Amino acid sequence: MNVIEVQGLKKDYPLGKTIVHALRGIDFSVEEGAFLSIVGPSGSGKTTLLNIIGCIDHPTAGRVRIHDQEISELNDKQITDLRLHRIGFIFQSFNLIPVLNVWENVEFPLLLMKDKRKEEIAARVERLIRAVGLLDYMAHKPAELSGGQRQRVAIARALVGNPDIVLADEPTANLDSETSESILKLMRELNEAERTTFIFSTHDPEVLKYAGKIVKIKDGMIVGQE
Amino acid sequence: MGLTFKIAWRNIWRHKGKSLVIGVILFIGALLMTVGNGMISGMENGLSENIVNLFTGDILIISDEQEKDNILLDLMTAKPLKVIKNYEAAREVLESEEMIADYLPAASGLVFLLNPRSEMGSVYLLGVDIDRYQRMFPNSIKITEGRIFERGERGVLISEFARKPLYDFMEYWLLPQDGILDESKLPEEAKEDLANLDVRSDIVFMGASDSNSTIDIRVPVTGIIEYKALNKIWGYYCLVDIESFREAHNYVTGADRAAELSPEEEDLLATEDLEDLFSSGDLFTDVITDESITLDQLREETARELVDYDLDDGSYNLAFIKLKAGVSTQEALAKLNRVFREKGIKVRAISWKEAVGAIGSMAVMVKAALNLFIMFIFFVAMIIIMNTLSMAALERTSELAMMRAIGARKGFLRRMFLAETSLLSFFFGGLGIASGIIVIYLIRAADISTTNEILQLLYGGEKLSPLYTSADFLLGLVELGIVTFLSVIYPLRVVGKIVPLDAIVRE
Repeated sequence: MNVIEVQGLKKDYPLGKTIVHALRGIDFSVEEGAFLSIVGPSGSGKTTLLNIIGCIDHPTAGRVRIHDQEISELNDKQITDLRLHRIGFIFQSFNLIPVLNVWENVEFPLLLMKDKRKEEIAARVERLIRAVGLLDYMAHKPAELSGGQRQRVAIARALVGNPDIVLADEPTANLDSETSESILKLMRELNEAERTTFIFSTHDPEVLKYAGKIVKIKDGMIVGQE
Repeated sequence: MGLTFKIAWRNIWRHKGKSLVIGVILFIGALLMTVGNGMISGMENGLSENIVNLFTGDILIISDEQEKDNILLDLMTAKPLKVIKNYEAAREVLESEEMIADYLPAASGLVFLLNPRSEMGSVYLLGVDIDRYQRMFPNSIKITEGRIFERGERGVLISEFARKPLYDFMEYWLLPQDGILDESKLPEEAKEDLANLDVRSDIVFMGASDSNSTIDIRVPVTGIIEYKALNKIWGYYCLVDIESFREAHNYVTGADRAAELSPEEEDLLATEDLEDLFSSGDLFTDVITDESITLDQLREETARELVDYDLDDGSYNLAFIKLKAGVSTQEALAKLNRVFREKGIKVRAISWKEAVGAIGSMAVMVKAALNLFIMFIFFVAMIIIMNTLSMAALERTSELAMMRAIGARKGFLRRMFLAETSLLSFFFGGLGIASGIIVIYLIRAADISTTNEILQLLYGGEKLSPLYTSADFLLGLVELGIVTFLSVIYPLRVVGKIVPLDAIVRE
C-alpha cells in the first residue's frame, strides 16, 4: 500500500527577474514501511521535494497524496494537524527547543496533541528515549549534548507521535562519520521496529548502503530509482 | 496552558537582557501610573472633602431664573444672583426629603467698596444665619482675631486672605471691635508708618441689586477668620450676617416680614392712586420742624426696630445641601429637580462641581493633564515593548518555525508569546504597583503642604495627600492589562506570519 503518491510535482522559485525551476515534474510513490533515500547533488531539489511531501511548502503544480489525502485540499489547521499526527521531521541542524530538556523535547509533540493521557505520554517518551540510548541524559538541555545526541533526541521526537512517515533532510550532514553511521543504524532499526516509513535525503554515498530504496534526483527531475 | 507557561517562563530567563528591558519599562510605567492614580484620587478626595464638607455641601439650590450654574467663585462677573422667589415651598421639600442630612439657606454676592480716592472695589460676601452655618459646616472656619458674631447680631467676618487686599485698597486696617492690634500681621508698609496707620472696626458695603440701585450699609467687623482648607481660594468670601446682606442687596429681610404696621401705614400701602397721597394735607401735618435733632438721635430714631423675628423668613439666593451618607449625588439631584418641577417651584438643584465652576474645571484640567501624562508614559512604554518583542520574535524565527513544522498551531505560538509578556507584566507591573503604593504612603508621611493656589488644587487641599483605593488598584490592573495587550498585538502578528518553511530556510 502506498503511503505517499507524488504526481507531476513542480516547484518554481522567483529569483530576481528569473525563475528557478527547483522541481520539473516529479512522479513517484512510497510504500508503507519503506526506508527510502533521495539522493542527488546539492541544488538538485531534494530538500524542496521533502518540504512539499512534509507539507511545509506548496508545489507550483502537481499533486501530493498522503494516505489518499490530497494535501492541496487542506487548510492551514488541517495541514498543521497532519504534520503533528502523521509526519515526523528530522532536521539537518537538529532544531530542538533550547529551553526544554531531552524528556520535554521528546514529549512536546504529544502535549500538542492534547488527547493523550499522562501515563501514556510518559510511557511513550521513556520508550523512545530508551530506544535512542539517552536515558541517562533525560534532564539535559540541548546545549549540554553533543551533535549526535541532539540528533538522537530529534529522532525520538519525530517518532514519539507514532507518525506514518518520518522525513529527514540530510540528517547526518552535521555529524562525523562514526556518529552518522550510528544514527542511520538507529533509524533503520526504528523503521523495522515501528513499521514507520522513513524518507531521508543525502548526497553522501556512504549513507546509501542503509537505504531500502533509492530515488536519484538531478536538476529537479528523477533520473533513476533502485 | 502548562506547557505554554513553562516555555514562556524559561524563555524569559533565557533572554534575560530583553526581559529586563521590558520589565524595567513595565515597572516604571506601573509605578508612575500608580502614583498618578493616587494623586488623582487624593486630589478628588481632597477637593470633595474640603469643598463639600467645608464649603458647599453636595448639592446647591438656586433660582430657576439663574442663567449660569457656576455661582460661586465666578470672579469674572459681578452680576448678582437671582433671588429664590418661593423659598418657603422649596424649604418644605428640603425638610421632607429623607436623603437630606442638613441644609443651609444663604445669600452670596459681590458688594462694592469706595476708597478715599473714590475708586470702586469689591469683595465677596456670603450672608448666613451663623448658627446654622456652624451646624452645617462645623470647624470650617477658625477665628484668628476677635469673635464670631452671634445670631441676630450684625457683623462681618473678614477672611485673612481678603484683609491685606482690603488694606491696600481702602487704606485702613480692619481690626475686630475691641480687638488689640497685632503688629506682626500688618503689611510691611503699615509697620513702617505705624503712627499714621488708620485702623477701623467697621466697613461700608455698597450692595448691588437687580434694579441697579445701591444701598450702603455699615457693618461692624467682629472677627478675622481663616478657612480650614483652600484658604486662598475660599478666602475671597467674607461671612456676613444674613440680614446685613439682605439689606445691602435690597432683599426682603426677616425683620421686614415681622414688622407690624399701624392702620395708617397699612392704609397708605393700600392706596391705589398715588395722587391721593398728595391731595390730602394729613400726610405732612405732624412733621416737626422747629425741634433740633442730632445725627445720632436721627440714627437711633430711624434704626429698624429690633423685633422678635425669624431669620429664615427673609430672602435667599441659594441653599447648600448635605446629603446623608451613601446617597448618590446624581440620584438626589435628579429626584430634587423632578420634585421641584412637579410642584412648580422655580428653583433648580445643581451639583457642587457645577457651582464652583472655576475650581471644578481647573480640577478637571489638572486631572486630565495627569491622565494625559500617564497615557503618554504608557504609550512610550508600549512602543518600546512592542519593538523589543517584535525583535525577539524575529530573532527566534527558526525556533518558532520548527515548532510550527512539528505540529504547533499559530495559536500555540501566540499564546506562548502572550504568556511571556503577561508573566513579565504580572511580575514587573506588580512590583511597580507595589512600589507606587509605598511611594504614595511615603508622600503622605512626608507631610508636604503648600500655600500656592494651583498646587492646592493639585493637592486637593493645603496638604499633599495622595490616596490609593481598591478602585485605583483595579484601575491599575486594567491599565496594565490594556498596555500588555496592546503592546503584544503587533509582535503576535509577526509570530503569526512565521511559517514552517522558515525553519528550513534559516538553516
